[in-house]
Amino acid sequence: MWFVSFVKSSIGKKWIMALSGSFLTLFLCSHAAGNATLFSSISLFQAYADQLHSHPLIISVFSKGLTLTFAVHVVTGSLLFLQNRKARNQRYKVKTRAISNSQASSTMIYSGLFILLFIVIHTSVVSFGDHGKIGVTISEMFRSFFVSMFYIIAFIGLAIHLSHGFWSMLQTFGVNHPSYNSLISRLTYIVPLFFLLIFGTIPLLFLFGMVS
Amino acid sequence: MTTKSIDLSLEIWRQKDSRTTGVFESYQLKSISADMSFLEMLDVLNEKLTREGLDPVAFDHDCREGICGMCGAVVNGIAHGPEPETTLCQLHMRHFCNGDTIVIEPFRSRAFPIRKDLIVDRSALDRIIQAGGYISVNTGGAPDGNAIPIPSATAELAMDAAACIGCGACVASCPNGAAMLFTGAKISQLSLLPQGRPERKERAMAMVSAMDKEGFGNCTNERECEAVCPKGISIRNIARMNREFVKASFFG
Amino acid sequence: MQLKSNVPEGPLAEKWDKHRFSTKLVNPANRRKYKVIVVGTGLAGASAAATLAEQGYEVSSFCIQDSPRRAHSIAAQGGINAAKNYQNDGDSIQRLFYDTIKGGDFRSREANVYRLAQVSNNIIDQCVAQGVPFAREYGGTLANRSFGGAQVSRTFYARGQTGQQLLFGAYSALSRQIKSGKVTMHTRQEMMELVLVDGQARGIVTRDIISGEIASYSADAVILATGGYGNAYFLSTNAMASNVTAAWRAHRMGAGFANPSFVQIHPTCIPVHGSYQSKLTLMSESLRNDGRVWVPKKPGDTRKPGSIPEEERDYYLENKYPSFGNLVPRDVASRNAKEQCDAGKGVGSTQLAVYLDFAEAIRRDGEATILKKYGNLFQMYEKITDSNPLHEPMMIYPAVHYTMGGLWVDYNLMTTIPGLFAIGECNFSDHGANRLGASALMQGLADGYFIIANCIADYFGSTNPDKVSSTLPQFVDARKKCQDRIQKLLRGSKNGPQGKLTVDDIHKELGILLWDHCGMARNKEGLEKALAKLPALQEKFWKDVYIPGKGKELNQSLERAGRLADFLEFAEIIIRDALAREESCGCHLREESQTEENEAKRDDVNYSHVSVWEYQGDGQEPVLHKEELTFENVTPSQRSYK
Ligand SMILES: Cc1cc2nc3c(=O)[nH]c(=O)nc-3n(C[C@H](O)[C@H](O)[C@H](O)COP(=O)(O)OP(=O)(O)OC[C@H]3O[C@@H](n4cnc5c(N)ncnc54)[C@H](O)[C@@H]3O)c2cc1C
Ligand code: FES
Repeated sequence: MWFVSFVKSSIGKKWIMALSGSFLTLFLCSHAAGNATLFSSISLFQAYADQLHSHPLIISVFSKGLTLTFAVHVVTGSLLFLQNRKARNQRYKVKTRAISNSQASSTMIYSGLFILLFIVIHTSVVSFGDHGKIGVTISEMFRSFFVSMFYIIAFIGLAIHLSHGFWSMLQTFGVNHPSYNSLISRLTYIVPLFFLLIFGTIPLLFLFGMVS
Repeated sequence: MTTKSIDLSLEIWRQKDSRTTGVFESYQLKSISADMSFLEMLDVLNEKLTREGLDPVAFDHDCREGICGMCGAVVNGIAHGPEPETTLCQLHMRHFCNGDTIVIEPFRSRAFPIRKDLIVDRSALDRIIQAGGYISVNTGGAPDGNAIPIPSATAELAMDAAACIGCGACVASCPNGAAMLFTGAKISQLSLLPQGRPERKERAMAMVSAMDKEGFGNCTNERECEAVCPKGISIRNIARMNREFVKASFFG
Repeated sequence: MQLKSNVPEGPLAEKWDKHRFSTKLVNPANRRKYKVIVVGTGLAGASAAATLAEQGYEVSSFCIQDSPRRAHSIAAQGGINAAKNYQNDGDSIQRLFYDTIKGGDFRSREANVYRLAQVSNNIIDQCVAQGVPFAREYGGTLANRSFGGAQVSRTFYARGQTGQQLLFGAYSALSRQIKSGKVTMHTRQEMMELVLVDGQARGIVTRDIISGEIASYSADAVILATGGYGNAYFLSTNAMASNVTAAWRAHRMGAGFANPSFVQIHPTCIPVHGSYQSKLTLMSESLRNDGRVWVPKKPGDTRKPGSIPEEERDYYLENKYPSFGNLVPRDVASRNAKEQCDAGKGVGSTQLAVYLDFAEAIRRDGEATILKKYGNLFQMYEKITDSNPLHEPMMIYPAVHYTMGGLWVDYNLMTTIPGLFAIGECNFSDHGANRLGASALMQGLADGYFIIANCIADYFGSTNPDKVSSTLPQFVDARKKCQDRIQKLLRGSKNGPQGKLTVDDIHKELGILLWDHCGMARNKEGLEKALAKLPALQEKFWKDVYIPGKGKELNQSLERAGRLADFLEFAEIIIRDALAREESCGCHLREESQTEENEAKRDDVNYSHVSVWEYQGDGQEPVLHKEELTFENVTPSQRSYK
């Protein structure tokens, strides 16, 4: 019972967002680590994929857990968006934000939905394709300028989403203290840039034919 | 002191009562002294409207010293206007330029129904306090004031949170109409102080649930509340409330 | 009108204890049968409502603002006194008592003031227990400062927001009782009439500020905690809604009004800078610890302060009062500032200001030290005036700040109407002719937390009032009276504003009349002139004022008009009281009563009394009664600051 009321409460929902968000970020880390094999060569990457798929249990638990977490994040986020629109039922005539860098926070729902779109496309092509030829699939895919661009734009969207999301997650967990706030504010740049760098360079490498 | 004066165009939300819908009306004011406060500028407008047989603009105000939290409106899109850490009554006209158009709107939020023009009903905030924003001690029988030493830094932190004047600008400015800064400030103040510890769990649960019931939105960490707060209350208090609430929910 | 102070017998220090022992009590189980109305949610009202509800009474609480948390008490900055002697610097209940009664220039009741000093310590304990974040020392104990010229450090404070924090304490206690259902809170309700049944206070009539609806409420006792009436002067440091209406309506029903002319004028306020000015802002008195007050020697000197050489400046306080200098008491500082301006030496665009100069202190202690002490005050000053006191001397001028006068109450805080009590700034009791800094908060909370509940129990225990309902003809009549008055106010406005005046036009006129003739220094001639002018102003109000809108809606002009109508009636007894008191005392200089050195001269032989005014009906001259003051424990001494 207490759990239901926790989940239904405003702070409970914040926690769900933060918790699911942090799982997704952890997944991003592992994903980034896997992808980083591409910096070495496609064959290494293919070996990594093969290795991964030789443990169907891991894959199944991972993908189901991930889908669930992702769904929770998306559904709760959308719910919050709708509820919050209702709470501010009248709009202001003049809309000025008092804080200067509010673009990321005020567009979370849009960057989020864009990422959702991206993931649907990405998974349908990559995850549900043939794992045995994954290396070939992506190297062909990224040779197209438009696909690469789409990916890069999606990664930028992800970075923007994370730049608010990462800080927001910590704030929700109650991590806000003058002695480490400067570190946190630096991390809010470093973390998204890190992902952008790893994920973003891959299509570029392919595009410029720099993958062996 | 400057004696500069400016001419202004005002666009003000006019709404007869809670049942009718409002509209913006435009007014022109000439020779407004730059030394006037924003509310004095509205006084001048109201005197003019009254003399012309028109209905003066209703707005809340009382202390005009930036402490009672009675005043407040959204000025050109920002609650309490453009000056940081300043209530509307302490905002002076020298921060505007000759020829400016100023759009003045009431604090808008589902939880703050408009009563007339710029006057809104903020009693939802009182109900949040009634749910648990206190320490349950009856008058009499309190131990000596020095019985519990409180580190001066803790007292200062509690004071930072306690400085909230309950004006509602945080709600008005929050894109989600959330009241977390207000609620967080009170929960923080009382959970920081040893006197408030015995009830901290019940308090966090009760106040957050009262806040949710009133129809405030959910915080998505937009930080707008902190930026407009006339008392500079930090969202660190929201972080503290999050901790208090989770602790109370899981280990209550 | 009978003025029985009901001060208990016995030695001063034992009176309160003995009294509590001898008064009647109400059995806890029976308390819920009694209803109490508390009007006002300032320190006095909120603390009283909470305490009575905790004890089991059914309480209805009323305030004008949209929340009880916004009462004017919130604006108090400096601090609150208590005789804790935490600093071990020689303080005691006796000393706090003596300082307060001497500060009031021996025009208050010994027994009341002593009780105030006695309960002062409980207040601090209570507030700490409620979570009021008082300033602390590094070791964790409570910090104190010395305030308003006191020689001991007995003032407790929470930054510059002491009133706010104390009020939040009382408001939180009140909120807890609202939650428990023991207090019914009525916000945005203005009390318009007091209802008497068989000569006892049994209810009130209110106007709902949002809807304009008139309603009445019945109870077994009514407590007024409606604050001070400084806004009679139009410009004051009081909040905009502060008014005399509740007290005045009670006065019209038979409650004696004591010492209405005892109005405190605070020396360090930000000067008026235009006719549009709506209120004045107080700057803490502590500024005079380091600031030097001066004006140019030559009248009409319009040079910038920086270009007036040292020898052409008149440091008038230092010259006139070499031993106290800039730290003379509030009234002396105020009076002298006005004198200088009257002599044409005022500075600033309105020439109604004097300089408060920090240049020497900055040279002596450095900017950093001065900023540490006064940084937030300098900031506040700069916000309002756009001038930085580090570079240019501050400009200050006196302003109406606090009203010592109020409804007359006996030792039980009951007015001359049985069942009607008055607490906080609304009563007259503890500050005599002059209030010391940091003692109004103390008094409000003493009355509310620790005194009124005993008085109420005693009243119920000894009178056992029978039940009344608001359907009685007395209530119907009172509601009608209130409605008629609103109609009367609106009557003249039917034909539009042509040739009419606004409410503020007339309020400003009243303010100037009182300020000029009934301010810091008064004389017979001026007071008589003011008294003669008043009826015409009253007539002008009823004939010429234009009030837009209707009665049954949110109508802020109508609210202000109603309050002004009462101020206009009330002004008469302010002036009459000043006229009748032919002595200088406390805050006021009666020009006819001066020493050879032009200092205030008190006249204990003829004026050692409380002046209590009794209402006689519209257009009738009010009658003055006197409660003689006797001093058995202190010897009144003449103040001297030379
Ligand atoms: C700027 C300033 C600074 C001060 N600083 C200090 C200080 O440092 N130390 C100190 O001791 N004192 C100080 N004082 C004085 C002190 O603040 C007041 O005397 C005290 O707070 C009065 O409290 P109260 O409860 O009697 O009334 P208030 O706080 O004035 O409350 C009045 C209440 O009555 C209600 N009310 C009034 N009329 C009606 C009506 N007709 N119907 C319904 N409700 C009504 C109001 O809504 C309000 O709730 C200061 C005063 C000012 C102006
Ligand atoms: S009027 Fe009190 S804060 Fe503005």
